[in-house]
Amino acid sequence: MLRMLIDFSGDDAVFGHFGATGGYALAARRAMHEFGTGPETWKKIAVGQRKWAALNPAAMLHNKPLTEADYDNARWIVEPLRLPDNCLITDGGRAIIVTSLERARDLKQPPAVIMGMGMHNPSTAIVQSDWMAGPTGARAAKETAFAMAGITLDAVDACQIYDCFTYTVEITLQDYGFFKPGEGRDWLQDGTIEPGGRMPVNTSGGQLSEAYYMGLTPIAEGAMQIMGRCGQRQLGPATKTKSPEIILCSDNGGILQSHACILLRRL
Amino acid sequence: MPYDKPLPRLNADNQPFWEGCRKHELRFQQCGNCGHVRWPPSSLCPRCHSTEIRWLISKGTGRIFTFAVYHTAYHPGFAAELPYTVAVVVLDEGPRLLTNIVDCPPGEVKCDMPVEVVWVDIDDAITLPKFKPL
Repeated sequence: MLRMLIDFSGDDAVFGHFGATGGYALAARRAMHEFGTGPETWKKIAVGQRKWAALNPAAMLHNKPLTEADYDNARWIVEPLRLPDNCLITDGGRAIIVTSLERARDLKQPPAVIMGMGMHNPSTAIVQSDWMAGPTGARAAKETAFAMAGITLDAVDACQIYDCFTYTVEITLQDYGFFKPGEGRDWLQDGTIEPGGRMPVNTSGGQLSEAYYMGLTPIAEGAMQIMGRCGQRQLGPATKTKSPEIILCSDNGGILQSHACILLRRL
Repeated sequence: MPYDKPLPRLNADNQPFWEGCRKHELRFQQCGNCGHVRWPPSSLCPRCHSTEIRWLISKGTGRIFTFAVYHTAYHPGFAAELPYTVAVVVLDEGPRLLTNIVDCPPGEVKCDMPVEVVWVDIDDAITLPKFKPL
């Protein structure tokens, strides 16, 4: 394990810099400096997603409520990131089956239809990066996906955002254009992303509170919500949210080095 | 006590850098064609792809671009040093170096803080460039 970590970190390990939490901590700290974000913003994401996990019996943290005070008292892992800013570590699997729309029309389950996709990979190592506080690849990937779908951000009913860390959710939503740099904290006020909120985000609990299945956590949840298979946490009247016509899902790799997004809609 | 942290792995590209550190000189590759000063060392210039290289000795001053404070020992060698500060320092000549900030409590480190190199001799072959506030 130690050997793996050192191999992954290369000569960064010489200075005690290891793995993903350290890399995202560097990015998050720069973002605090550039546009005034910080734990007050990230806590809304951690707490909001945990409320969704409470409605998902399959979530690893289903029975572990998280209050804002719990967040404030949580230990630092790599500052400015606390334990609840970090995603889970999960053994498990999840799959998406893709077929033609023609075939999907006859299936027993209603399908989720792919409206648009985009990908953008800035790829620079985080230490050499000028854009760790954005724009990440999310901005260009979003332009491609929305142009393909022929819609604007207003048409989106919910988001499933790759959430390796709380900061990843903030910078992704910001680069997509949901709010201006540094305005995430205001945008997240009053339960925006929570059950009952106007823009539900990571409705399974996400990687922070459900399970870490890499990009499959967000996209599987997006598809399941469109298909109406989410039980207690189903978007719509059950959770006092909009019934989803269109859901935006994201994926991200490295330390903000690659980004992909996909728009799903009801048939 | 023997040094129990990971050491840099020398190769043909980075050897001149680490030999420089041993002499308390921060040496960076500068492209012989476009003048770009780069880190990490490589055989091609990432800007213009020229293979012409000269080595420039940095003044050893710069500023902190960003930093992270470790409260977790991912490697046992760092356990006694928690909390410690890892930072990206932008040298005045341009390159960005991952390093540690020393002689400054983690709570007082700030982005854009001016810093200068401090040499930490490890053994006969390796000296680490760390930075402290100016």
